Amino acid sequence: MSKIKLQKSNCIFFAPLHFCANKLVSQNFAFVWILFCLVLLANCKNETVNQSKFAPTREITDDLGRRVRLPERVTSAVSLAPNLTEITFAVGAGERLVGVTSFCDYPEEAKRIRRIGDTLTPNIENIIALKPQIVLVSTASQMENFTRTIDAQNIAYFVTNPNSLDDIYKTIYQIGEIFGTSDKAYQVVAELKKRVADVEARTASAADVKVFVQIDKNSLYTVGKESFMTDLIARAGGESLTKDVATAYPKISKETALALNPERIILSESDNNLEPNEVFANSPAMKKNKVFRIEADLLSRPGPRIVDGLERLARALHPESFE
Amino acid sequence: MKIQGAQLKVKGSRFGVGLLILLVAALLVAVLLGSEKLSFFELTDEQNAILFDIRLPRILLGATVGASLALAGASLQSLLRNPLAEPYLLGVSNGAALGTMLAFIFFAQSEFARPMMAFAGAGLATFAVYQMAKSRTGMNVERLVLSGVIVTTFLSSILVLLTSLLDSTKLRSFTFWLLGDLSQGTKNGFYLTLIIAAVGTIVLSSQARALNLMMLGERDAFDFGVEVGKTRLIVFTTAAALVGTSVAASGSVGYVGLIVPHLVRLSIGSDNRLVVPFSALAGAIFVVLADTVARVTIAPRELPVGAITALVGAPLFIYLLKRN
Repeated sequence: MSKIKLQKSNCIFFAPLHFCANKLVSQNFAFVWILFCLVLLANCKNETVNQSKFAPTREITDDLGRRVRLPERVTSAVSLAPNLTEITFAVGAGERLVGVTSFCDYPEEAKRIRRIGDTLTPNIENIIALKPQIVLVSTASQMENFTRTIDAQNIAYFVTNPNSLDDIYKTIYQIGEIFGTSDKAYQVVAELKKRVADVEARTASAADVKVFVQIDKNSLYTVGKESFMTDLIARAGGESLTKDVATAYPKISKETALALNPERIILSESDNNLEPNEVFANSPAMKKNKVFRIEADLLSRPGPRIVDGLERLARALHPESFE
Repeated sequence: MKIQGAQLKVKGSRFGVGLLILLVAALLVAVLLGSEKLSFFELTDEQNAILFDIRLPRILLGATVGASLALAGASLQSLLRNPLAEPYLLGVSNGAALGTMLAFIFFAQSEFARPMMAFAGAGLATFAVYQMAKSRTGMNVERLVLSGVIVTTFLSSILVLLTSLLDSTKLRSFTFWLLGDLSQGTKNGFYLTLIIAAVGTIVLSSQARALNLMMLGERDAFDFGVEVGKTRLIVFTTAAALVGTSVAASGSVGYVGLIVPHLVRLSIGSDNRLVVPFSALAGAIFVVLADTVARVTIAPRELPVGAITALVGAPLFIYLLKRN
């Protein structure tokens, strides 16, 4: 009884709503109405008049061959990769970065800059809010959808793709040009070139040693044909045993690894890569205790600190040349 | 037992109004929350762009994707007389994902190749599961679920194979996308999912009576005058189109087609004339809220929305099973 009563009172309470709803439902209006609202919502935007800026602009070409239009003086930029953040600081424009990724931890000042997500999934809302004049992207972070959205927002982006030491120099020049600090960029590159020449001079006479670079202990990731590490090892007086393996960072099988017999093992130092894999137990490197840890950031980021990595590498491979 | 037309309408309109209010509330919450705080009363140019070019299209895409997946789930469950029939669990989503990926590899330029290939993939996966599950004695629940598992794992392995073979940087974002990611949607993708969801609602609602009778069994439905083969073809095709366009726009968002129709049935009974259209509404609400959680929790970084729906969906489903 009471249940029925409740229902009845309910009905009375909702009567006006019911009346409308019934009418709408019965004529399929509700449905059309919802669709209409959704389309309307998707299209509503306060169109603001785009003030055309007559400020002088210039154009520079990025690694994809795009002509990127820039204001005469770039005062705010977002970096979407740790190496680009490091290069920007190196050319003396670090204070103009308004956003960086959560991986950007060098130099110390970079940690105080606003984080805008990580390299693969940058947060577009945050980037737009920061109003950068340019977004620095590396091909690793470049996503089709992301660049499309950023294009639609009229935010300029500059794509870099450094795959060798020479490419890294070029990227440093380009970023110097973007920020108008080319002099500083040339200075940085000259310094780096000097240090590289010094390493090469020291290791020139030494015999090449066979090197294996281990990036992960349990799944044996290493450096392959397309990695700049292969070039770096050659300059440090070694030969990467995996230099002919396709792709930049291939994973090799334990059987292959066992047959490599490296004379030196380089560990790209991280929490899950502090020791060589067991398959190397009988390798010359293990027997003669020629295993070296080098900070992963120095080997993996194509920026100025790569030369620090090269120096460490050379010292590990040919300590006698640095006495 | 049988609900009269007028009674159905009263019951339906009350529930419908409730769901509409909830949908509006969910959309509002989703618009208000985000990685970037907006001052809604005086939007700057940038905030205007964030709200109308980035956030709102994404929320609306979430709504249409949720509606599509819930619709597909609701109709498949009735058609196959199986409470566990769900696009994700049956491998239909993976079929669509494989189609999208192939379209990406072979026709990267064409935007509409992806939904088309996804539709084809979803259709083929549905057909495969159905053929495997069908036997001379009819189709039982376990057989269908097992067929779904086989098709799902087989397609997953192809997807994994493709991602490891083609080690290009472009494909890397696919791993995120595979778990369901609304951030990669486009405006055209939204319109396409909206149209398909609308057409799907109409088509599947028109099959609601037939689906009600199909729940009694195909033989009984046939005796009542249902054209079983035709109904099956219509529902499979529509479900494949719904899942295909959703997956092409946002990856595989799992469990929506499972959890939403069940919640709707718990609330208003299992009459498909109500379950089908209201699943669409409830699905939209569910995904909009789940995506809001995905956007906000670890901002500025993001979680894949599929992980959120699975996280909510799986335990809720176990609870529902235990309670019944």
